[in-house]
Amino acid sequence: MNTFSKPLLTALLVGVGLCSDAFAQKAEVIHWWTSGGESAAIKQFADAYNKAGGQWVDNAIAGGDNARAAALNRIAGGNPPTAAQFNTSKQYHELIEAGLLSDLDNVAAKGNWDQWMPTPIKNVIKVKGRYYAVPVNIHSFAWFWYSKAVLNKAGVAEPKTEAEFWTALDKIKASGQVAFAQSGTMGYERGTFSAVLLHMGGRDLYNSIYEKRDVNAIKSPAFKTVLEKFKKLHAYTDAGMPTRTWNDTTALLVTDRAGFQIVGDWAKGEFINANKVAGKDFGCFQGWGPKAPYMVSGDVFVLPKSSNKDVIKAQELLASVVTSPAAQVAFNNKKGAIPIRPDVEASSMDICAQAGVAALKDPARQTPDPSMLVPPDVFGAVGDVITKFWNTDMKPEDAQNRLVAALVSK
Amino acid sequence: MKLPTRRPAWSAHAALIPMGTTVLVAYIAGILWTVRISFTSSKMLPKSDWVGLKQYEVLFASDRWATDMVNVALFGVTFITGAMVLGFLLAVFIDQKVRFEGVFRTLYLFSYSLSFVATGVIWQWMFNPTLGIQQSLRSWGWENARFDWITSQDMAIYCVVIAVLWHSAGLVMAILLAGLRGVDEEIAKAAQIEGIPRWRYYLSIVLPQMGASLGTCLVLLAVAVIKVFDAVVAMTNGGPGDATDVPTKFIMDNLFERQNIGLASAASTTMLITVLIIIAPLMYARSRSEKNA
Amino acid sequence: MSTDIPSMLSPRPSVQWFTPGRIGIYVFLISAALFFLLPLYVMGVTSIKPMVEIREGNIFQFPLAMTFEPWAQAWSSACTGLQCNGISVGFINSVQILLPSLVLSIFLGSINGYALAFWKVRWGHWAFSVLMLGAFIPYQVMMYPLVRMFAWADIFQSITNIVLVHTIFGMPIMTLLFKNYYGGLPPELFKAARIDGGGFWRIYFQLMVPMSLPIFVVATIMQTTGIWNDFILGLIFAGREHYPMTVQLNNIINSTQGEKIYNVNMAATLLTSLVPLAVYFVSGRWFVRGIAAGAVKG
Repeated sequence: MNTFSKPLLTALLVGVGLCSDAFAQKAEVIHWWTSGGESAAIKQFADAYNKAGGQWVDNAIAGGDNARAAALNRIAGGNPPTAAQFNTSKQYHELIEAGLLSDLDNVAAKGNWDQWMPTPIKNVIKVKGRYYAVPVNIHSFAWFWYSKAVLNKAGVAEPKTEAEFWTALDKIKASGQVAFAQSGTMGYERGTFSAVLLHMGGRDLYNSIYEKRDVNAIKSPAFKTVLEKFKKLHAYTDAGMPTRTWNDTTALLVTDRAGFQIVGDWAKGEFINANKVAGKDFGCFQGWGPKAPYMVSGDVFVLPKSSNKDVIKAQELLASVVTSPAAQVAFNNKKGAIPIRPDVEASSMDICAQAGVAALKDPARQTPDPSMLVPPDVFGAVGDVITKFWNTDMKPEDAQNRLVAALVSK
Repeated sequence: MKLPTRRPAWSAHAALIPMGTTVLVAYIAGILWTVRISFTSSKMLPKSDWVGLKQYEVLFASDRWATDMVNVALFGVTFITGAMVLGFLLAVFIDQKVRFEGVFRTLYLFSYSLSFVATGVIWQWMFNPTLGIQQSLRSWGWENARFDWITSQDMAIYCVVIAVLWHSAGLVMAILLAGLRGVDEEIAKAAQIEGIPRWRYYLSIVLPQMGASLGTCLVLLAVAVIKVFDAVVAMTNGGPGDATDVPTKFIMDNLFERQNIGLASAASTTMLITVLIIIAPLMYARSRSEKNA
Repeated sequence: MSTDIPSMLSPRPSVQWFTPGRIGIYVFLISAALFFLLPLYVMGVTSIKPMVEIREGNIFQFPLAMTFEPWAQAWSSACTGLQCNGISVGFINSVQILLPSLVLSIFLGSINGYALAFWKVRWGHWAFSVLMLGAFIPYQVMMYPLVRMFAWADIFQSITNIVLVHTIFGMPIMTLLFKNYYGGLPPELFKAARIDGGGFWRIYFQLMVPMSLPIFVVATIMQTTGIWNDFILGLIFAGREHYPMTVQLNNIINSTQGEKIYNVNMAATLLTSLVPLAVYFVSGRWFVRGIAAGAVKG
């Protein structure tokens, strides 16, 4: 482009921009999707929103805590963003109680959310009969991933039952390889524990611990067994586990240096970035059997309350765009998560995502992630107990007592 | 040493107005607000109810908080001693009219220019037994080399000490060097003529004269100890278990992720009172000696 | 240990090389240098390795296929969200935030230290005690009341806001630095200046400032590092249009759910540290012996 036309073009674009500014619904969105893959995903939303006549103003801040702190302080300072990302959980419920969020009943009614929204998600976005958050994806923590090369070397196939899983771990360890890769950060130790509780303890026990927070369940022999099984996994880990991040841990599977890892479906990005193919280089399963429970979590946008008509219009447009089928598929394919709507075309997704979609179709399998059942401080207290139990020689009975203190009477 | 003036120095009062305003509007208000919140049941947003000492009860019943206090004490003693000794030695040795003084000085300060996050990440790699020093020693032939402190419940905290020491010793050196250079060179020459050995000269003559810079360093290091957070998070995230957990991390976790600002405020207030108990006698003694001088 | 007689004619005593003492000095300094250099070496080497080597290889290994791509990416094309313009985006903002904050925080710190060290302001010492207590409070604890106050004053999220915040949080340490330094000076200096008829400001500008260059240098080093590397205060108080470089850096390094591109991360971190480093390098000229000592004699 020669030097003459550039200023002209710029002027033209500025002019057009100024004009369209008056008509476009400006939406400033705070979120924490900053990596390459995540940015590619959020771009799908931004493009869809801009195409629908809006103007997406991106405010990406890495780290969930940072992004949420920024959003909260903006709300406290009287200068809220149009939308802010939170996890599908109880993180934003206090904002609802304080009357600081717009309700979305208009959009929900138009989109028939009542009909198809998965129940665990509906339960945390619909409070006192009104919708207060827009879910944008479904993630799941309790996935088991494995490196096919490592399993092949140990002469093991994908375990179809829990018993086969333990046998597989033994065989991989016997073959001189690292059987179980675990991240040393508390959130991921707790995640492994919750997955073990769900898939080895069963859905009922999981619910009585996290949902009902029943003292008797926590002190039961069945739960003690779960704790013992969780601790048993420790023997299959490697020396580099303490303090290692989850990405460095998944990297072990990607480079065929460890067998299994329990981690959320965001780990898929690590494999894909290294050009590994699901079903060929690595495998994935969530629990065992056709009725295995499927842990549900994810992300939502909340919309801080405003009396400004333009802001309200922008928020409604945003909510309807991000929940539309096309945007859902585009976003979640890049994100490695699953669309919130069941009525989407699953064939373009990889086999792990397809398995997730299939599992979600059965309401009996949908299980809320612990953060959707307990408030953040209780969830944190549980994590403190679990990490200490995992890293020291604390007895299961001791852990049970401490979990009672953490979970009950709060 | 302070010269009392006979009449009030209005310019001095006026010049201190920004400090007074800051203290009143930011610090006193902030401290009072924190203390007030510690008596409420505030979760994510501040509430103005009253629950008495309930947050403090939860705090002191917390096994994690008890471990945190022990950890920060261990960290503090080791780190402050190490940083003062290393910083002093570096300053003294650099002061020996060495060649390339500028290069050495910049080298030792380089690590200070990095954020604590970067420091934590790099030392996490170095200490990781399968990635870092242990792994390298083994791959170079030393089959049974062991350096897995970071995986140990007892030793992990010292890994954090080493990392933060690496980061901050350069600053201690810089401050002590500035103080060192304020000591009259004539005395050095006189000491040399007298035949006093160099090390004796530094220990018995120079050190006592460096009270100001030593005091500054001690306070800076103490502040760094109480506030140590980013390095811990980046390096070990408080782990393994709670072996490297520190009070500031407890406060941050409850302030943000756990949405429990009532508990976080109780923890902050407790830390503040602890600091007050430790430094108040020192400051009182200092102001007494200043009055008498 | 040294056997030469200091000559009164030469500006400094001559030094004998290669005595055991001298060798010992250099051994110590070089060992210390290795301690400080080793992690930096790892950072540097990682920043010029391709990801494949980082995943598979040893952290100390020199890259087989060296590449400076990560540095280019870190500066201008790494993704920090929808924008993929690296950390260069925030550079100007960081400078805009740094310069006024530096000037204000150091100026106020030196005035405070000077007034507290030499002048009788009784409430000043109480205020200073509160300030020292406040130094121990983590910033985030005081964030909410400050946010409300700045919002009420209608300057929330602006350059003014962030400059004031840096000044507020820098005041305890800066005041301490100067108070201790001025307190360590011989009292005769100030006495003499007062007898000469100097007032508060005249003594400050004509006597104290020239004499405290080393401590101004130390203050500059500390504040430049602290303000340039600050993330959380800039995130909350500067506003989206004025985000400092550390916000982009955080987006590159701390992305929660993507693959960690370690080489770009390290390159970005090293790039960010270049500004404080340049300050250290340039400041060397003022670490000269005898500035304070010279003033005593003169």
